[in-house]
Amino acid sequence: MTFNAAALLLLIAGLALMGWLAGRARSSLLAGRAGTKLHSRPQYHGWYVALWLFAPAALFLAVWSSVSPALITNQVLTSEAAQSLPSFGFERGAILSDARSVAEGKQAAVRLPAAAPLVKPYSDATHRYAWIGIAAMLALALAGGLYAFTRIRPDFRARTRVEKIVMLFLLLASLVAILTTFGIVLSLLFESIRFFRLVSPAELLFGTTWAPTSGAPQPGTFGGIPLFWGTVLIGTIIAMIVAIPIGMMTAVYLTQYAAPTVRKWVKPLLEILAGVPTVVYGYFAALTVAPALREFAVMLGIPNASTESALAAGIVMGVMIIPFVSSMADDSINAVPQAMRDGSLALGATPNETIRQVLIPAALPGVMGGILLAVSRAIGETMIVVMAAGLSANMTANPFASVTTVTAQIVKLLTGDQEFDSAKTLAAFALGLVLFLVTLLLNIVALRIVKKYREAYE
Amino acid sequence: MNRQTTPTDWKGATMQKRIAGRYAAERRFKAVGLGAVLLSGAFLAFLLFVMVGNGVRGFTYTHVSVPVDFKAMPLTIDTARLGDADADQVIANAGLADIVAFAADEALGADGSKLISENAWKEVRSAIKADPELLKSKTVFELPASSEVDIAAKEGAKGALGAKVDALEKDGKLSTGIHWPFFKNADATDPAVAGIWGALKGSVLTIFIAFLIAFPTGVLAALYLEEYAAKNRWTDLIEVSINNLAAVPSIIFGLLALAVFINWFGLCQASPLVGGLTLALMTMPVIVIASRNAIKSVPPSIRDAALGVGASPVQVVFHHVLPLALPGILTGTIIGMARALGETAPLLLVGMRAFIGDVPGGICSPSTVLPMQIFLWSDEVDRGFVEKTSAAIIVLLIVLLSMNAFAIYLRNKFEKRW
Repeated sequence: MTFNAAALLLLIAGLALMGWLAGRARSSLLAGRAGTKLHSRPQYHGWYVALWLFAPAALFLAVWSSVSPALITNQVLTSEAAQSLPSFGFERGAILSDARSVAEGKQAAVRLPAAAPLVKPYSDATHRYAWIGIAAMLALALAGGLYAFTRIRPDFRARTRVEKIVMLFLLLASLVAILTTFGIVLSLLFESIRFFRLVSPAELLFGTTWAPTSGAPQPGTFGGIPLFWGTVLIGTIIAMIVAIPIGMMTAVYLTQYAAPTVRKWVKPLLEILAGVPTVVYGYFAALTVAPALREFAVMLGIPNASTESALAAGIVMGVMIIPFVSSMADDSINAVPQAMRDGSLALGATPNETIRQVLIPAALPGVMGGILLAVSRAIGETMIVVMAAGLSANMTANPFASVTTVTAQIVKLLTGDQEFDSAKTLAAFALGLVLFLVTLLLNIVALRIVKKYREAYE
Repeated sequence: MNRQTTPTDWKGATMQKRIAGRYAAERRFKAVGLGAVLLSGAFLAFLLFVMVGNGVRGFTYTHVSVPVDFKAMPLTIDTARLGDADADQVIANAGLADIVAFAADEALGADGSKLISENAWKEVRSAIKADPELLKSKTVFELPASSEVDIAAKEGAKGALGAKVDALEKDGKLSTGIHWPFFKNADATDPAVAGIWGALKGSVLTIFIAFLIAFPTGVLAALYLEEYAAKNRWTDLIEVSINNLAAVPSIIFGLLALAVFINWFGLCQASPLVGGLTLALMTMPVIVIASRNAIKSVPPSIRDAALGVGASPVQVVFHHVLPLALPGILTGTIIGMARALGETAPLLLVGMRAFIGDVPGGICSPSTVLPMQIFLWSDEVDRGFVEKTSAAIIVLLIVLLSMNAFAIYLRNKFEKRW
C-alpha cells in the first residue's frame, strides 16, 4: 500500500462531483419547498459545495505528498535497524533508497545486503503515513463539503462566492509566468553561485582556454571567451550575413512588388522554414551542407577544413531565421504611412528609389529591433550547433574550422556524468546565466526600439 | 525672381539614357527581390527533397526468402506452452535462433546467416506463436535482411557483397516491402528492427501533459490580464515576464527543469511527465499572447450587452467572450504545441537522451520523443540508420505540417470581421 496521489486525486474529484449533485439538488428542493426565489441558480450552489470539498483536500494532498517521504525516512531512522547504518554520505543514501524501492514494490529484492533489515521498517512507515494521509484528506474533504452543504439557503449568495474563487484561479494562473521567471533566475543564480565559489567569475568571462575536466577544477580551464566567440561567429556574423539581406529583400518584394495572391501563398510557404524543428536543420547541416562545404574548402585549397564547420551551422541557422527577419521587416515597412510612399512616387521616383530612400530609412528602427530579436534567437539556438558546429573550443576566425558555442557546451556538460557537485556540471548553469542575461538584454533593447518607433507615426 | 531656367529636354540623349538607367535599376532591384524569395523557396525545396529522397527508402526493407524445414530440424517444444506468458523465452531456449541461422546457411550458401538480420529469427518466432502447425512442415519465410544487404540491395554495392546480392536478386530471393517494424517497434541497436513507435508514443504523452498544463493556465492568465486586471505595477510585472519568457532560449527551460523538477522535487527522470512540464512552461507564454489577441478582438459591445441584461463580470467572460475567442485561442495553442513537439534541446537536459528499447508504459516511465530519436539516430555510425533518421524526420514533418495546416484552416474558417 503506497501513497498513490493520482488515484487519490480521482477519488476526491469523484466526491466533488457527488457534492456538486447534492448541492444542486438540495438548493432546488429548498426553492421548491419555501416557494421563495433562490438568490443564485442551483448549479452555483452545487459548485460551491464541490469547491469546498475539493480544494482543501487537494491542497493537503499536494503538501502531504511532498513532505511524507521525509517523514517516512525520519521514522525509519529512529528504528532499531537503522542504528547500524554508516553515518553519512553516498553509501547511506544508496542503502536507504534500495530499501525504499523494495518496500514500495518497485524492485523484487534488495541489491545491497545492508538494506535488508530496513525493508520492514520502511514498509511499516510507508503504510502508516499513507493511512494517516488518506484519513486526513478524507476528513478534510468531508468537513469542507458538510460546511458548504449546511450553508445552502435560498438567500445564500453562492454565485458571488463561486465567482470570487474563479477570480482567484485566474490570478493564480497569471502568476505562473512570474513564478517561472523567478524559477529560472533563482535556479540559475543558485547553481552559478556554487560554481563561482570554485571558479572566479572573471575567469569564466575573460579566460581564453576552455578545457573543463571532472574532479577538482584546474585553474585556467574555465575560460569562456572561445565559447562566446564561437557563439558570435555563428549566430551573429554568419547567420546574419545570410538572414538579413535575404529576409529584407523577401519582405520588400512581398510587400511592394508581389501580387496579393502570390503574397498569400508565398508567405505561409516561407514560414514553414521557421516551423521546421531545429533537430531537422541540424541533421541537414551535418549530413548535407557540412560535407559539401568541406569539399568546397578543399577545392579552394584551405588547409584543415573540417566536416564540422562554423559556416555550415551558421548558413543553416541563417536560413532558419529568414522568415523571422522578413516578417519583422514586413511589419515595419507596412507601418510606414502610405502618404510617404505616395508622396515619393508622385515626385517621380521609381518604386525602388522610393523603397531604398523613403521606406527603408523610415522603417529602419523597426527593422533593427527585429534584427536584434533574431540575433537573440540565433545565440540561443542549440541543436544546429550541437550537430553541425562541433564541440571543440577553438578561437579562430576561419569559418571552415570547427567552433563551439555556449548552448552546445551546456548540452555537452550536462549529458555526460551526472554528479551534481563537480565544477563541470555547475559550469553549465553559469553559462546558462550568461546566455539568459544576454538574450534578456537584447530582447529588452529590441522591444524598446520597436515600441518607440511605432509611437512615432501615431 | 528672374532666374534663367532652361526646360529639361526629356527627349535628349542624356536624359533618355538616365531614364533608361533608372528603369534598369528598377528591374534589377525587382529581380533581386524575386531572387531572395526564390532562394529561400529553393532552400526549403532542397531540404524537403533531400529528406524525402533519403527517407522514403527507410519505410521499406529488403527481405530474403529462407525456407526453414522443421521436419529436418525439429524444434522440440511443447506446443501447449505457446500460449503462455513466457512463450518467447521457451522458444528462444529451444534454440530457434540456431535453427534459422542454419537454414539460412543451407539456403543461401556459406555465411548465409550473415545475410539475414540477427533478429530475423524473432519473426519466425511470432509466426510460430500465431500458427504452431508451422512446426510440422517446411515453410518459406520472408526474413529481414541484414542492414548491409538492405543497403546493398537499395543502392547497389561493389565487391563480394554486391555480387552476392546481385545473385540473390537474380534468383528472386530478395523482395522489398513496407517495413512494419519501423512503425511498431521502439529504438534498437539493430537498424533492421529499430522503430519509431516508442518515440511517437513518448511524444504524444509528453505533448498531452504539456497541453493539460499550458492550455488552461495560459487561457486563464490571458482572461485575467485582458478582462479583469487593474493597470498597476503588478500586472505590468506579469506582462513583462510573459513577454520575456516567450523570448527566452529553450535550453534555459531545460536548465530550470533539471534544477527544479529533477534535483529539487525528484520527479521521475527522462519521463513524459518532466518533459511535458518543461514544454508546458515554454509554451504557456505563447498561448497567453495568442489568447490575449483573440480576446482583444471580441468587440466591447458584446460585453456591454451582456452586462446590460444583468450578467456578472464572470458570466460575461465565460458565457460570451471566451466562446467567441476560442477559435483564435485554439489556433495559437495548436501552433504553440507544434513548436513544442519539435523541440529537442530542453529535453536533452532532463535525461530524455538515454537509449530506450521499450515503448513507454506511462507518464512516469523512461521514454524518448520523436525529435530526440532523430537526434540519437543521427549519431549512429551504422549506415542503416541514415535512412531511418530521414524517415523519422518525414514522419515528424508530416505531423507538424498537418498541425500547422489545421491551425491555418481553423483561422480561415472562423475568421470574423465584427
